[in-house]
Amino acid sequence: MDATVKSHFTTKEEHAPAKPLIFWRPTAKTGLISWLTTVDHKKIGFMYGLFALFFLLIGGCEALLIRLQLMVPNNTLLTAQQYNTMFTMHGTTMIFLAVMPLGAAFFNIIMPLQIGARDVAFPRLNAFSLWTFVAGAIILNVGWFLPDGAPDAGWVGYAPLTSKAFNPTHATDFWVLGLQLLGVASIAAALNFIVTIINLRAPGMTMMRLPVFTWMTLVTSFLIVLSFPAITIALVEVMMDRQFGTNFFEVSNGGMPILWQHLFWIFGHPEVYILILPAMGIISEILPTFSRKPLFGYPIIVFSGAAIGFLGFTVWSHHMFTTGMGTVATAAFSLATMAIAVPTGVKIFNWIGTLWGGHLKMRTPMMFALGFIWMFMIGGFSGVMHAAAPADAQQHDSYFVIAHFHYVLIGGSIFALLAGIQYWFPLVVGRVVSDFWGKLSFWVIFVGFNITFFPMHFLGLNGMPRRTFTYDANMGWNTANYIATIGALILGTGIGIYFTVMIYTFFKGQKASRDEWDGRTLEWSLPNPPPEYNFRVIPTVHARDAFWYEKYHQEEIARENAEHAKEDEAHGGIHMPFSSIYPLVASCGALIGGFGAVYHNLILALVGGSILLAGIYLWSMEGAEGYHLHLDADGNPVEDTHAKH
Amino acid sequence: MRLNSLLSTSARWGRAALAFGGTVLLTGCDLNFWRMDGHQSTIVVDGPVAVSQRELFYVTCWVTLVIFLIVGSVLAYATLKFRARSTDEENAVPPEQGHGNPMIELSLIGASVLALVIIAIPTLKGIWYTHDVPEADKANAYEVNAVGQQWWFRFEYPNEQIKDVGQLVTSNELVIPAGRPVHINLRSLDVIHGFWIPKLAGKVDMIPNRGNFLWVQADQPGYFWGQCAQYCGDSHAVMRFRVIALGPKEFNDWLNRQMEPARSVKAQPDLPKVQLASYRTEFKRNEKGWSDKFELSPLDSWRAQQEPDPKHEDVALILKGRATFQAKTCVNCHTIRGNEGMGVTAPNLTHVGSRTTIAAGLLENNPEQLARWLRHPDEVKPGNKMYHGIGGMAGYMKKDDNGREVPNIVLTESDISALVAYLSSLK
Repeated sequence: MDATVKSHFTTKEEHAPAKPLIFWRPTAKTGLISWLTTVDHKKIGFMYGLFALFFLLIGGCEALLIRLQLMVPNNTLLTAQQYNTMFTMHGTTMIFLAVMPLGAAFFNIIMPLQIGARDVAFPRLNAFSLWTFVAGAIILNVGWFLPDGAPDAGWVGYAPLTSKAFNPTHATDFWVLGLQLLGVASIAAALNFIVTIINLRAPGMTMMRLPVFTWMTLVTSFLIVLSFPAITIALVEVMMDRQFGTNFFEVSNGGMPILWQHLFWIFGHPEVYILILPAMGIISEILPTFSRKPLFGYPIIVFSGAAIGFLGFTVWSHHMFTTGMGTVATAAFSLATMAIAVPTGVKIFNWIGTLWGGHLKMRTPMMFALGFIWMFMIGGFSGVMHAAAPADAQQHDSYFVIAHFHYVLIGGSIFALLAGIQYWFPLVVGRVVSDFWGKLSFWVIFVGFNITFFPMHFLGLNGMPRRTFTYDANMGWNTANYIATIGALILGTGIGIYFTVMIYTFFKGQKASRDEWDGRTLEWSLPNPPPEYNFRVIPTVHARDAFWYEKYHQEEIARENAEHAKEDEAHGGIHMPFSSIYPLVASCGALIGGFGAVYHNLILALVGGSILLAGIYLWSMEGAEGYHLHLDADGNPVEDTHAKH
Repeated sequence: MRLNSLLSTSARWGRAALAFGGTVLLTGCDLNFWRMDGHQSTIVVDGPVAVSQRELFYVTCWVTLVIFLIVGSVLAYATLKFRARSTDEENAVPPEQGHGNPMIELSLIGASVLALVIIAIPTLKGIWYTHDVPEADKANAYEVNAVGQQWWFRFEYPNEQIKDVGQLVTSNELVIPAGRPVHINLRSLDVIHGFWIPKLAGKVDMIPNRGNFLWVQADQPGYFWGQCAQYCGDSHAVMRFRVIALGPKEFNDWLNRQMEPARSVKAQPDLPKVQLASYRTEFKRNEKGWSDKFELSPLDSWRAQQEPDPKHEDVALILKGRATFQAKTCVNCHTIRGNEGMGVTAPNLTHVGSRTTIAAGLLENNPEQLARWLRHPDEVKPGNKMYHGIGGMAGYMKKDDNGREVPNIVLTESDISALVAYLSSLK
């Protein structure tokens, strides 16, 4: 590999025009600079994953503090203000800084490998998404270290609680600007994934041969592109109200607080599916692999995923059944919400159909996947209960809702993401997590999770409202709260075991064999860890489970690959892009500009904005340059030349 | 031998059970939480609205439970039946590579739709029923307004007009007629609050600039717990209230007493001074603010609170309290109709002595808790406006030129005992 790495500045080609220093392209493949300037989708995805796991632990610690405060009635561990900050940041962190970027990590690493591509369509835009996400995360969390404190208006930030009158410090400004930057990062990444999936599929990889995970990446990306503008507008309105005294939500001047809720949930409900569809995609990969059978009812699963994405835009007001929408609107959103249960249920039927008649290999990823189905079923059923609007009037904003969405988001999303980490670990890292420790962590997490959240159903039905820092001992809530806290400590222990084992495996674990799980999709055809160029020869796809087909038609595939390798060579070899500093520069501009906006500092905002624009301008001027690789049949580089594009 | 091992096993289990039971007892918990019969239960309820909501919940529960049992058994069966039991089985020739079965899919989709229809029909009925008082009952409905503010509730009775004053106003304890539908208009003066009396009806939000309402009916006289359900800032958790439902006669008696101006105690110099019982003055933050005696029969406790007790009053202290109430500028925000005060930004205290709770349903209304509240309102209710000031008006604290909070109202212990005596006398 290293022999291929040479800057075009050192090339002996005479016609290479000298570039001004401003267009310097880093060429290092290791070291800090290489990570900061990389455009390799696997490295970017890996960093997405690291940041997401870091924030998953932060959000988990916030959750533990919440549970410790509620362990006994009238507890004084946290003050009201600290508690309110804790649940606000727990929600915001888990959704925007943990589960979403963890999904993005999988999209980045796995999706191009599944479609037989050498990178995403816009590698530098991908880097920009990552660093802008980091900038947003910094702004969201910087309040912890400043006198104003971290945001405390709830993760839904209902107006007018976010207005200057009720939240005079900068904490809410951090929240607004942080989310705004995260939105930019998400939309840029989603557009990138959409273009990649539509344009960079290997020959023969028709849409109905796409692995389900890639399909869910596509649907999720469309959801992000279509739903984030709604919250962007809403956040701009809050920012205008706070910074320039406009009247979008200012009641005394005729503003409408209810407007925020509509805009927020038009984003917020699709966001729920942004969190769960990637999980469903991961499950739809793991179950066939460990059942050694194709997915049952692939077209229906794909269609259900798209239908969920589509219906996801028609149900936002079921978060608002108690806002006095009137009978007709309530009925409409109630029925639409029930309708969404059908495609969701269909997926569960098909997953069971996949198991049926298979040879189930009970490895850790499979355990998490089966745990996912059970927990997601429970969360789905309590979701149907919420759809019955009059019953929801009792459940809304109570612990019943807390139980419901944690069953969907932990039992659903997090279980699937943990399954996905273990599933693709051998491919990405080249080491395999010990089955014993993996299963142990699964059982501790599974038991702890249920002890934590199942009693919350009872708490909610017994009238305990959410977002309350204290409760009295005479309400009949003591036991369930106590049990839930014990469960949370067990859950925390399980997550601790999981991460410890993962870190150990990363450095010292058992080496994985190639195609560790007898995989079915193209990523498993690669050596582990995959080389920077992914595929020596772009594969030709003949069937839905492309790699499974390859395994049973090896001669045909070898013949094809040899032909394609020749064609590639005729076109100059494998084209690889250069790294670039400008995505990072542009994101730094966004970070500085964000601080300028928070502190209402025009100079800082202009400086940041200028750096952002300059970064984007220079990045488009430096050109999509790269170099060519030439590989022999074993994947070893034979020579390398350099080209300008 | 076998018996021995059995014994040691059972001893181990016994110890584990004891340890668990001990933990539970230590925290004063009971294991009956699954009964869900607390003060804010949505299962053990009263009145047609909450009952219809509970019945719908049961429908959804049964339908989903049946589906869960069916799907769950199939899933469990498939997992156990098709599990590879050895490495050989794992590496055996792969099973048939089937891709699905459209007929199974279609019938399952049909079954799901059918199950949802079973839920949808009572849902639609419930949406219309719980929305507003049924037409037939409209003439009989009683109307009140509930107004949410950070972090307390004001209740207005538009039907009860007091001459030269306007409608009857109380706070934090809503008294309604039992056996009659009550139509409650919901308003908010600052942020969004949620009005929730779980035993009577599901919640409806109080949203600024929006005319929301809900209806409830208490079938029997009773004492109900309510709480703000929508996160509304620092003290959201302690923004609570009570609803007291009374029979027709008792309700009218209560109305008549409330319509009267505040009780005014006249100086009687020859009356002997009453020795006030000493009570605790130190409380932990968040410490509970109610007595177990109150719990036994809350409605009777409420009734006992209604009548003044002239024999155990220190008239001089009450009069001093009345003067203190004015001198310490309490009157700027609080109204005590008939005595002094025109303020509307804080709870109306005209008959505060007759309420069972203070500080928005948080503390029991007795001298001890009243003194605690007056001494450290910021600890009892973080961020509260009496302490920090509201709308430019200073409270216990005021803002200096640098925007820092500095003390404004300072209450001595003798001020506090005088205020307690005065406020308690306002039956």
